[in-house]
Amino acid sequence: MLFNSIEFLLFLPLVFCLYWFVFKKKVTVQNLFLIFASYVFYGWWDWRFLLLIFLSTLVDFFVGQKIHQNLDVKKKARHWLWVSMAFNIGMLGFFKYSNFFVDSFIDMVSAMGYTIKSTWTLRIILPVGISFYTFQTMSYSFDIYYKKLTPSKNFIAFTAFVSFFPQLVAGPIERASNLLSQIINKRVFSYAQAASGMKLVLWGLFKKIVIADSIAPIVDDVFANYQDYPASTLILGVCLFSFQVYGDFSGYSDIAIGTAKLFGIELKSNFKFPNFSRNVAEYWQRWHVSLSTWFRHYLYIPMGGSRVSKLKSVRNIIVIFVVSGFWHGANWTFIFWGGLHALFYIPVFLMGRNRMYAHNVVGEKSLFPTPIEILQVLVTFTLVTFSRIFFRSPSLTDSFQYIDTIVYNFTYEPYVHPMGYRMLDFYVLLALFVFYEYLIRKDERSPFKFKSKIVRLLLYTIVVLAMLLFYDDGVNRSFIYFQF
Amino acid sequence: MKKFLLKTILYIFLILVLLELLVRALHLYTEDPPRYIDENNVEKRVPGHNGYAVTGNRNQNFSEFHINKAGFNSHREFLPTKEKFEIALIGDSFIEGFHQDYYDSTGRKIETKLDTVEVYEYGYAGYDLANQMHLINAYKEQFALIDEIIIYLNFESDLKRGAYEPNVGRIAMLSSTVFKIRDNIKLLAYGSKIGILEPLKKLVTGQAFQNASQAYETNKIEVDVREQEQEYLDNFKSLVALYGYDKCKTTILLDSRKTSASFLAYCNQNNFRYIDFAPTFERTTKPVTLIYDWHWNNHGRQLIANVIVDHIKGPKKSKDCR
Repeated sequence: MLFNSIEFLLFLPLVFCLYWFVFKKKVTVQNLFLIFASYVFYGWWDWRFLLLIFLSTLVDFFVGQKIHQNLDVKKKARHWLWVSMAFNIGMLGFFKYSNFFVDSFIDMVSAMGYTIKSTWTLRIILPVGISFYTFQTMSYSFDIYYKKLTPSKNFIAFTAFVSFFPQLVAGPIERASNLLSQIINKRVFSYAQAASGMKLVLWGLFKKIVIADSIAPIVDDVFANYQDYPASTLILGVCLFSFQVYGDFSGYSDIAIGTAKLFGIELKSNFKFPNFSRNVAEYWQRWHVSLSTWFRHYLYIPMGGSRVSKLKSVRNIIVIFVVSGFWHGANWTFIFWGGLHALFYIPVFLMGRNRMYAHNVVGEKSLFPTPIEILQVLVTFTLVTFSRIFFRSPSLTDSFQYIDTIVYNFTYEPYVHPMGYRMLDFYVLLALFVFYEYLIRKDERSPFKFKSKIVRLLLYTIVVLAMLLFYDDGVNRSFIYFQF
Repeated sequence: MKKFLLKTILYIFLILVLLELLVRALHLYTEDPPRYIDENNVEKRVPGHNGYAVTGNRNQNFSEFHINKAGFNSHREFLPTKEKFEIALIGDSFIEGFHQDYYDSTGRKIETKLDTVEVYEYGYAGYDLANQMHLINAYKEQFALIDEIIIYLNFESDLKRGAYEPNVGRIAMLSSTVFKIRDNIKLLAYGSKIGILEPLKKLVTGQAFQNASQAYETNKIEVDVREQEQEYLDNFKSLVALYGYDKCKTTILLDSRKTSASFLAYCNQNNFRYIDFAPTFERTTKPVTLIYDWHWNNHGRQLIANVIVDHIKGPKKSKDCR
């Protein structure tokens, strides 16, 4: 079920009312209902994959207990941790990466002059959100292993934690210490929390429908026909893709966080205005925060993080970015994209500037950013946007040809929208969006933080009107990150 | 909880009211003048309506219409006489022309090129050949005074029936309470126009749940094209037999790219004159249809006017018609 579908528009109020009015007396009953609602939500796509979620839940619940029981005998505990990893990564590997490895092997052998007829490539459907929920269940086992968490004995609560529908298919990837503890305890309805949730849902829908979906046909057109377009259009296409993917994914996260709030649950922030980052390190502290945090906690720090020699730290950075790229998809383009980000990050790290913007935002103490900050933001945006050529292109060859046209054949021609729409509408829209995001840049969880009720009401109306003005029923309304 | 629910309802209500005001102020909605079936069983618009037709979410195409006393969108009244030279241009939405200002229609363009001519545009969205033939027959006295009749025929969609029956169901539906509410609440009219209500409609009618099963039924055996073309030709013959056809003053306006060769051959063999605008459209390098719509744009309408003017100015008719 998509957040931006009519089904969800009916599903959410129904589940909300049953949750708070019918099942609120006992937390166990409420959690059972949450599991039911979550399984309906996920099963709307394909009920067959519910079994995978349930298996993942079962394995990690059981393994979590075993790790805890064997914590005194480190070796045994580690064996159980491997069971969790083998199961989750095995599942991920089979559904997401098996064909990639087979194809890459065949390509490698072909490059050596041998010919293999592929008989191993499988016709596999990628279960929606598998990368997200497997990482979430793995984090549970890791946390127990690292003694940051005691395992839950409440299977119902644990199942609700794994399948919690607002963040099941595209995150934020939650750690059990945050989400499970809230699910185990009784929730109390809070007006402020629910109202804040509604606002986030509205803002998320705006980002998805107005920003991401309205520019999607342009991006699709440019990337599908890049050989026919001049450099100016290719630059426009990738810049718009930057906004599209941001609107799409951060919009999803806002709706997820907002929906969770309606059920009395606080999820971690996933996006903190990454487009205003002043260097690539800051960008990664603001973009897909839950995934960056996951890799930092469970890969970077166990490898030594930055507490080892500079050389080893650099190695760790490369590993984390390449793995992060690979997490996104079974394609060399994503690995290259990750590697490119490592390349952008390492100089910042070596200069010791990787944490300097961790606790402040652009224009922290003034209304406007300084000229240096503007320059920094533009440079960072350019680097990140450049890397997105690899993120969006179907193959490395396409990516390089795309760049080749920009660099060696620089010409300008005004771009004509594939549907004939006036491009000025989109430029004005994006300029207003960036300006508004700048205004609210200090708090990603309060997009309508204005004292005046009238101003707020007008903003809500404008946001809904914009959704109508830019609604396109011909656009595929699915979320980009569902494919990961 | 009570406060939350009440405030949510209040905010939704206020937002809807504000949206309604904004949609009205910005004229984002389109107007659809009411339709009716007159005493001659002819479907048309209720005379005397003026307004604006809008295409696209953001007013991308905005045009004025004026329904004359005859019930058609036109800058002039239809008053044929023996003295004047009149052309009747009959067709569907392409001739009705809600996507253009009524004072800049195809008919007007023809009049500009042929000073002494009056063009009567009998256009109505949804007309097929049965509608058009019935119209000519129902107003035979009026059409007897008109010198040239040009029927716009879209072969793919206008020959699906061999006899005319007024679409009472559609008229009743459009004048039902539900549709009246939709037309009066401009936000709903706007939402309906841009397709935002489609998912809801699908859900209410159960179509949303049929998609999966339909997906397996797409490879049904295609109806034999030749069989269909023959059916269309039979319908044409049936309509001609039923309502009569003045070959001397009637000409079919068509796009040969979308018309079967067998139908064109039949017309040639039986002296049904036609104007084929396909070569003219193919020659032009500029787009001939609107951006947001498949109807002819200003350039397309000008080309249509040109081919009609050429036809009127062209070789005189056969001896039988003089």
